[in-house]
Amino acid sequence: MSGRKSADFVIRNFFSPDVGISVARYVISFLGVLLLGSFMISLQGEDPVNAARLIMKGAFGNRVSIGNSLRWAIPCMLTGSASIIAFKSGVINLGIEGQMYVGAFVAAVLGWAFKLPPALHVTLCIAASGAAGIAWVIIPALLRLFFRLNEYVTTMMMNFIGTLICDYFVVWVILPGVAITTTTAATPTINKSARLATLIKGTSCSTGFLIGVAACVLVYILYRFTVKGYELKQVGENIKFARTGGVNVKKTFAAIFILSGMLGGLSGGIEVCGGYYKYVSGFSYTMGWEGIMIANICNNHPIGLIFVSIVWGALKTGAMSMERGTSLNRLTVNLLQMLFVILVSVNYEAIYGYFRNRAKKARDMERFLAERKES
Amino acid sequence: MNPAGVGGHMSRSRRPRHETGGAKKNLENPGYILEMRNIRKTFGALAANDDITLKVRKGSVHSLIGENGAGKSTLMNILTGIYRPDYGEIFLGGRKVNFRNPQDAARHGIGMVYQEFMLFRELSVLENIMYGFEEKKAFGILIDRKKSKKKLEEICEKYHFNIPLGAKVADLPVSMLQQVEIVKVLYKGADIIVLDEPTSVLTPQGVEGLFDAVRFLVASGKTIIFITHKLKEVFAVADEITVLRDGKVTGNVRCDGTTENALANLMVGRDVTFGSGKSVHEPGVKVLEVRNLSVRDKDGVLRLKEASFDVREGEIVGIAGVAGSGQQQLVEAVFGISRAEKGRVTFLGNDVTDAEPRDRRLMGMGYVPQDRLGAGGNAAAAIWENSIMGYHISENFKSKFFLSRQEVENFADKVVSQFNVKTRSIDDKLSSLSGGNIQKLIVGRESIQDKKLLIVEDPTRGIDVGAIEFVWGKMLDIVKSGMSILLVSHEINEVMQLSDRILVIYEGRLYDGGAYLELDDKEIGFLMTGGGAA
Repeated sequence: MSGRKSADFVIRNFFSPDVGISVARYVISFLGVLLLGSFMISLQGEDPVNAARLIMKGAFGNRVSIGNSLRWAIPCMLTGSASIIAFKSGVINLGIEGQMYVGAFVAAVLGWAFKLPPALHVTLCIAASGAAGIAWVIIPALLRLFFRLNEYVTTMMMNFIGTLICDYFVVWVILPGVAITTTTAATPTINKSARLATLIKGTSCSTGFLIGVAACVLVYILYRFTVKGYELKQVGENIKFARTGGVNVKKTFAAIFILSGMLGGLSGGIEVCGGYYKYVSGFSYTMGWEGIMIANICNNHPIGLIFVSIVWGALKTGAMSMERGTSLNRLTVNLLQMLFVILVSVNYEAIYGYFRNRAKKARDMERFLAERKES
Repeated sequence: MNPAGVGGHMSRSRRPRHETGGAKKNLENPGYILEMRNIRKTFGALAANDDITLKVRKGSVHSLIGENGAGKSTLMNILTGIYRPDYGEIFLGGRKVNFRNPQDAARHGIGMVYQEFMLFRELSVLENIMYGFEEKKAFGILIDRKKSKKKLEEICEKYHFNIPLGAKVADLPVSMLQQVEIVKVLYKGADIIVLDEPTSVLTPQGVEGLFDAVRFLVASGKTIIFITHKLKEVFAVADEITVLRDGKVTGNVRCDGTTENALANLMVGRDVTFGSGKSVHEPGVKVLEVRNLSVRDKDGVLRLKEASFDVREGEIVGIAGVAGSGQQQLVEAVFGISRAEKGRVTFLGNDVTDAEPRDRRLMGMGYVPQDRLGAGGNAAAAIWENSIMGYHISENFKSKFFLSRQEVENFADKVVSQFNVKTRSIDDKLSSLSGGNIQKLIVGRESIQDKKLLIVEDPTRGIDVGAIEFVWGKMLDIVKSGMSILLVSHEINEVMQLSDRILVIYEGRLYDGGAYLELDDKEIGFLMTGGGAA
């Protein structure tokens, strides 16, 4: 690329209204959250600056806190990329939570019930969790493709079915069999051979982090460099265009469902093999849903997702530290996260477009009136 | 207000008139009940209504005719308060009005019967009609069904409508539903009733019944605005006619002072501004064979009826017709977007009736859709993404898996340079291009792909003269190289300039429009408005 051409590229891509709007989107949202957050924290009699300091320290203060921040970024990356694949291609997969539970359950059972060589065992568990996620998404996919049943509803229903079935098996099948009395419904701990290696010593950050990053990068490559990714994108943006252009829409839709469900299942498997080491009822605390929000924040960009996930994980770890150092509840941070999601989701393009069109219409009218006067 | 030559038109009317109070008053004062003056409404760059003036006499049937997209719906949406005009004024009975919303317009006595019925299928006729305008009892809290029903029965008796008030809407035939819609606007107190393409859903008998109702309503003092594009109906029922084309009024005539031919010309006839420079040559072997093709639309209405035709190598077959005559269904069935109810499509000797668009593309069929930013292009995507659609499934890219940026660039640049698409970069969004350039891009993409047959729909709609000439020239070049084109256009001139053979579609049936320059535009315009169907 010649100097002139690249300068042109920079101007076109970074000073265009598009980019201006996306920068404005994040700046407005961030300022809004700062403002409202300060207000909320002050209202409870605490110093917002001190709270922010504690969050930062808790998230990145030392090796352990960094490790914990990264650990919580893992599920975000996987559920986030599951959402991105679906949204970019026009499928609304609201069933990531359920796919995650089913994946976790299958990994936990295989990890506990079998004894295999370490590398093989963990691979099997993770692969099985992905397969379980696919199995869980295939029902809404078939209903959508052959009976035109909206996947909004079906994927959501499958969440409840998934979580409840897993709990059922834990409480009524597995626990009576092993005769363990516990207060929470959980499977027995998985064998050492089924665990993912720790990435940062002394923390719960497992090699699952690498899998998460790999998933994001692969999704990026798929959409950026492959023929299939091209088709996936066109189907998502204009299905009529894709179909008349010769894309096999049904097959493409099936692929989207399968990929998205697989990533959802993997996220559960990794939580078990790299985090909890067992299936615990209600373990996710809506992590499946957070993926959808994070995908929204990074505007469905898979590389952006890595960074947003790390921020999300850091906030989770930091909020706990803030809770210890102040009288604030960590739900405050949750609340601010949600607020950020809402502000980022505002359609700033439409607002900008509305005012631009109004100005254009006014100019057009002026010209029209001037022409009328002449004639 | 009262231009010369208007007085006494009632006496010239061919219709027998009932001597009612309304009509008598009208004879004395043939004034306008409705005037829409200099109405203008734009959507983006498109002026849907450009300085339209419509004057409607009290107690008359005023027909508003024009093709789809001529601006009829926009004008009526302004009249019924759905849109507000950018410019212009509306007068009702000489008084200026300004409708804030549809309810406001309804209160002023304007009622619209839409083409698509606005009824709750699971509710009764009575419930549908009184909805939103119920008579109340018990301090306005409860609905007084009895009183509503009584009021409705009076209306039905007065205007000779015989509809079962207790029946469920879902159980009634279409012609009955239309009467329900008309009674609904009467119940709401409409004086001016707009009928939007009311006959499109009716059988010939139903049409007669509707016309009787219209005549009776007018005799009772109501005013009717009758929207249609079927000229025979205009002559059967209207007093005066306003013709719209491309958002402008092209004619304002009295029914007994004009002919079908003249109206057809005002409605669809375009001046032949420039020639295409077409040379006629012998067509080759049969490429496409369509036999007895019948297609239903989404609502189950039969839109294409027993269409049969061939396209041979190196020829352009043009299909002319007023918008909405079944062209869309024809094209969709030939390209595989929708399924045929009956009949067969054979392409290069293979039966492709049930093949997907993908299969047809791989066999050598290309398609330039009318809908540039719907089926034709993806506005949210880059120009290169739009350029390679369809090409990406062919054998021409080296890798079936990875998209090589170099190959993409080569092909996109070829489209852009050969078809003179004015753009800064193939990475720009498609939406940054003008309509003409998007059209050139789509025609380019489809014709460079080395197809055997191109289906081209309205290739020059809404683009400037320079781009029209360019696209026409390219299409003629393409057939010289042995490709064939099935051209479907609403521009009669375009079909005549480019086609080796012309077919005319009217109400879903094909009529022979002769070879190149065999018939003139008036004769074809006559066929387009039902002249061949009689």
